[in-house]
Amino acid sequence: MLEDNPFFVLGLPTDTSRIELEREAQKLLGMLELGFVEAKTYQTPLGPRSRTPELVRAAVAALRDPYRRLIAELWARHAPPAAPVEATAGAPEPSHNGLRRALGWGV
Amino acid sequence: MDTPLYVGIDLGTTNSAAAVFDGERVSVIRNAQGATVTPSVVRIDKQGRITVGTRARRFLEQDSANTAAEFKRLMGTGKAIEFPAHGSSKKPEELSAEVLKALRQDITDQLGVQIDRAVISVPALFELPQSAATSEAARLAGFSRVELLQEPIASALAAGWRAEDDGGGTWLVFDLGGGTFDASLLETRDGLLRVVGHDGDNFLGGRDFDWSITEHLASQLAVVPRRNNPEHAAALRALRLAAEDAKIELSRGERAQVMLAQPLSIDGQDVDVDLELTRATVERLCLPLVDRALDVCLRLLATNGLGPGRLAKLVLVGGPTVMPMVRQRVAARLEATIAEGHDPMTLVAQGAALYAATASLDGRAASIAVPAGRQVWLQYPAVSADLTPHVVGKFVGDNPPAKIKLVRNDGGWSSTEATVGPDGTFLTSVTLLPRRACTFEIEARAEGGELVVVTPSQLTIVQGLTIGDPPLSRTLGVALANGHVQVYLERGAPLPARRTFTHHTIETVAKGSSESVLRIPIVQGELSQAELCRLVGTLDIGGDAVKDTVPTGSAVEVTIELDRGGRLAARALIPAIGQVFEHVAHLLVPEASPESLDAAIRDLRRQLMELRSDAFRHGLGHVIEKLDKIEARLSEAERDIDAAHGGDADAAQRARRALLDVDGIMAEADLARKWPELESNARNVAISASSTVGEHGTDAERALLQEVLAAMDKARRDKDAAELERQMRLASRLSRAAFHRTTEAWEYYFEDAASEISKMKDLPKAQKLVTDGKAAQARGDTAELRRVVNALWQLLPEDSEARKKGFDSGVR
Repeated sequence: MLEDNPFFVLGLPTDTSRIELEREAQKLLGMLELGFVEAKTYQTPLGPRSRTPELVRAAVAALRDPYRRLIAELWARHAPPAAPVEATAGAPEPSHNGLRRALGWGV
Repeated sequence: MDTPLYVGIDLGTTNSAAAVFDGERVSVIRNAQGATVTPSVVRIDKQGRITVGTRARRFLEQDSANTAAEFKRLMGTGKAIEFPAHGSSKKPEELSAEVLKALRQDITDQLGVQIDRAVISVPALFELPQSAATSEAARLAGFSRVELLQEPIASALAAGWRAEDDGGGTWLVFDLGGGTFDASLLETRDGLLRVVGHDGDNFLGGRDFDWSITEHLASQLAVVPRRNNPEHAAALRALRLAAEDAKIELSRGERAQVMLAQPLSIDGQDVDVDLELTRATVERLCLPLVDRALDVCLRLLATNGLGPGRLAKLVLVGGPTVMPMVRQRVAARLEATIAEGHDPMTLVAQGAALYAATASLDGRAASIAVPAGRQVWLQYPAVSADLTPHVVGKFVGDNPPAKIKLVRNDGGWSSTEATVGPDGTFLTSVTLLPRRACTFEIEARAEGGELVVVTPSQLTIVQGLTIGDPPLSRTLGVALANGHVQVYLERGAPLPARRTFTHHTIETVAKGSSESVLRIPIVQGELSQAELCRLVGTLDIGGDAVKDTVPTGSAVEVTIELDRGGRLAARALIPAIGQVFEHVAHLLVPEASPESLDAAIRDLRRQLMELRSDAFRHGLGHVIEKLDKIEARLSEAERDIDAAHGGDADAAQRARRALLDVDGIMAEADLARKWPELESNARNVAISASSTVGEHGTDAERALLQEVLAAMDKARRDKDAAELERQMRLASRLSRAAFHRTTEAWEYYFEDAASEISKMKDLPKAQKLVTDGKAAQARGDTAELRRVVNALWQLLPEDSEARKKGFDSGVR
């Protein structure tokens, strides 16, 4: 939601029009293909990240969908100032009772 | 520079077609007989001579054993089709290659150009092995590069391209092909085409119309031929061809005579065929099938919050939509006007040709030309909805020119001079004329102002409707040892796509042991349980291939990659031994023997009975409704299994897919049966997520949770168990993300994991981790505690039953 937010990947503000998004994506894909150094990274609240053609394609596809664009706008607008602790990939569902109680979930 | 030529091919079940686009105009290619469609029929005679198209179709009746049709439905199954006269056999992709070769030759004959690149359309719900077989067919036909495009997108692109007014709005493509039905809801805005939603029926097509009519005709004969009797197959085939011809005739007239020159031989008796068929009878027989397609359309509209009468445009595609009854019924029930001026038989090929342009796939064989002057690499869209797209370039070699300018060759516009960087790169933009192909001359100048000759010296961009990258039609992921699926690429992800995740092995792979294998199953499907998805490939890493023993819990970085043509590649890197494994065993669509289908349907019937009596006992009306749907599907599958016993391999494949679908619906019904329990869980999740996210979440998480809670509420009201589960997972994820931000979170996880120590696989290692964890807890080191918890989780055992459901996956 933050690292690969489509607006960050494309380096555009959240009020960018649809045609401008497409234009920027097309430009970035061309620059990446020809090895432009300035296109290889993008800025996020978590620091710079490396930009790939796959990320650009996925970003523009996400922003074509009004619902997904809304979500991306929400995250980009409310980007937290401090780096949050990421959820661990591959962590099992918190099914243990102690944990569920701690979370206030029904056991 | 001469004009590019973009080629599109509709490789259909019944008929195929080709079209070309030159940047201004789309033209449909005619074959040697002057027709725009070529029957997808191949014959191999005694001498091994291959005949394709109309000439081969004529032999379907008199030499059916050596004439193959409808082999597209067997693509990816590996099933060989025999040609006894010549004593040879061919795989479905080899037969498709013959059709492609014929179309390729037609293009050369008509335009005098050798073609070796094209876009080929495939059904929206093609599975990966079927897509791979289509690419293979193209390779066998001599194409050096092809891209695959989903049929509904192709027809939408063709229909949208011709629309003079880009008034926007939602429109529907009703695509009733020979074997499948697809309904696509689309919108155009700012010259961009977007697929809003898609639905379909993989088991409904023109051939069902033909079988309905055939069965009606058969029932009137003195001796009735049966589909489950292999001895009657020839008679039924002859009758079906006659039925097909009569159906076409009845699109114009009111009555048709069904007469066969030779009597049919049924059970040793000669049976004459001389029957009358009226348009009213055909309409009565086909109406339920048309209504079934319309129900799919109405469901698609409802899913997207639309009802009949809300469509700006309705486009009909496919042979059966030529029937007047079909057109009237569709227009009436959807309360929409059918867009005129589109040829339903060639629209898909036209759209594929247009798409070839958007993908910059010039079909002409590459010529070997010696570049003159400075060579420049250019990146620009061959088709652009944008009137001012960018052009990005890079000069090859040292000392590039200093400035560059693009001049439109109608003399009406030229760019400002762009500076070329010391590394040879430049960035500029051009201005296009609406709905025209614009060619620009490239003017490069050296530091002193003198002109520099460059290659290429021109570029052409067409302004018009475009569509983004082709979307993935089914979600792709890796089955895990716990029976769940780790999604890599979601349905709708733009292709090409690539994604990497890190997994951990659940058992040791001993060096040199051929017995010990780490299996990474790749699956496709929309459900989170692996057993309900289709296994499309496996990446097996054997003990005999590893440089060193890979201990339990080792990290495995798996990368899955899909190209635009739907070709799958996977790679696994094991950092501990520094080895990469890339060999994916691509799976074929499984064989469907009539006996295995019989057993599968018996099993499903038994499960259905259990679920039904349970639903009745508890008065669950919505579950009973779902089960009724299954009942109808099973009856259809039974008819196909009957035909499979009669030797119809295509019917066997239809039945196999229908049974897989039934399995999925059954899982949903089972979920719905547990509704009260699910509803109560949902309530708990909502309460806990609200409190956790409310207390520890960010503004964005809180805003998102509101959306998720609203969606959960809607799913509860709609009694949609699958959707409710999906939303619950989202709410739990938000809750977890917020909870992880607190210091206490990892202490809770640690205490909980430590309490399971007796079950862990490597007890000494687990004990050491618990000691480390306690120390980290004492000094308040959250990062270390987190590492310990993750390591402890890796030591928890997997349930063997779950692992079996995860296709014996060796990773978690």
